[in-house]
Amino acid sequence: MSEKGHHHPAPLSPVEHRVAALEALLTERGLVPEGFIEEITRRYESEIGPLNGAKVVARAWADPGYKERLLADGTAAIAELGFGGPEGDHMVVVANTPAVHNVVVCTLCSCYPWPVLGLPPSWYKDPPYRARMVREPWALLAEMGCPLPGDVEIRVWDSSAEVRYLVLPQRPPGTEGMTEAELAGLVTRDSMIGVARL
Amino acid sequence: MSTPLSLSDLDLPRRNGELVFEAPWQSTVFGLAAAVVDNAFGGDREPFRQQLIKAIAAEPARPYWESWTAALEALVGTLPERPAP
Repeated sequence: MSEKGHHHPAPLSPVEHRVAALEALLTERGLVPEGFIEEITRRYESEIGPLNGAKVVARAWADPGYKERLLADGTAAIAELGFGGPEGDHMVVVANTPAVHNVVVCTLCSCYPWPVLGLPPSWYKDPPYRARMVREPWALLAEMGCPLPGDVEIRVWDSSAEVRYLVLPQRPPGTEGMTEAELAGLVTRDSMIGVARL
Repeated sequence: MSTPLSLSDLDLPRRNGELVFEAPWQSTVFGLAAAVVDNAFGGDREPFRQQLIKAIAAEPARPYWESWTAALEALVGTLPERPAP
């Protein structure tokens, strides 16, 4: 790993020591190809992220046939746009409607649809979100800046061993003349987790 | 967001204001887990996921990437010993 600081590198913290030991052990056992960590870090920091999901959502808004395929078989429809890979093997897309708001959680760990959203934000992995979204979604969504009208049904989807969920937000009003690229620019990560509305 | 953006204008995944990794050791341990999944488990993520669930349940308040580290340590402990040279 690269050294922090130029002349006086900070001493390693306990967890940094443990990671360094893991890296040494796994490298010695031939499990970490040269450049592997740098490449995967680069991909998740600059290539794989919510823009992929935004493209999927924009296509679904612009093309009713695509939307139908997306809701019928999320994995296949997302692969049509070239997205797939780890944590995206079984994608289920759930559509918001005026009457139904969907929100995604992983109560046990941090399952998340990497190919379309990248790695999860820190709050998604924290105990309060994982516990409260199931117990009190109305209150938590309101606290997160997404208060919902009382007549909307909230559906909470708990990611499981195989299934990764993506929320298809409602297309905002007044966007009829927009191109697909412009539509993609409206889609936020949080709206595809279900903790925001557009 | 008032101005429509072209796709090339978007700077993701950071556009939602959050860095993917907060320190180099976090990206290292993320990449190490990916390497083990790919190269020791044939791409099957489930054994690591089960370790991560256990690690988080054991210490729910522990910072996430530290639980991830504990999970990877436990997973590596299940690998067969390296054959003698």
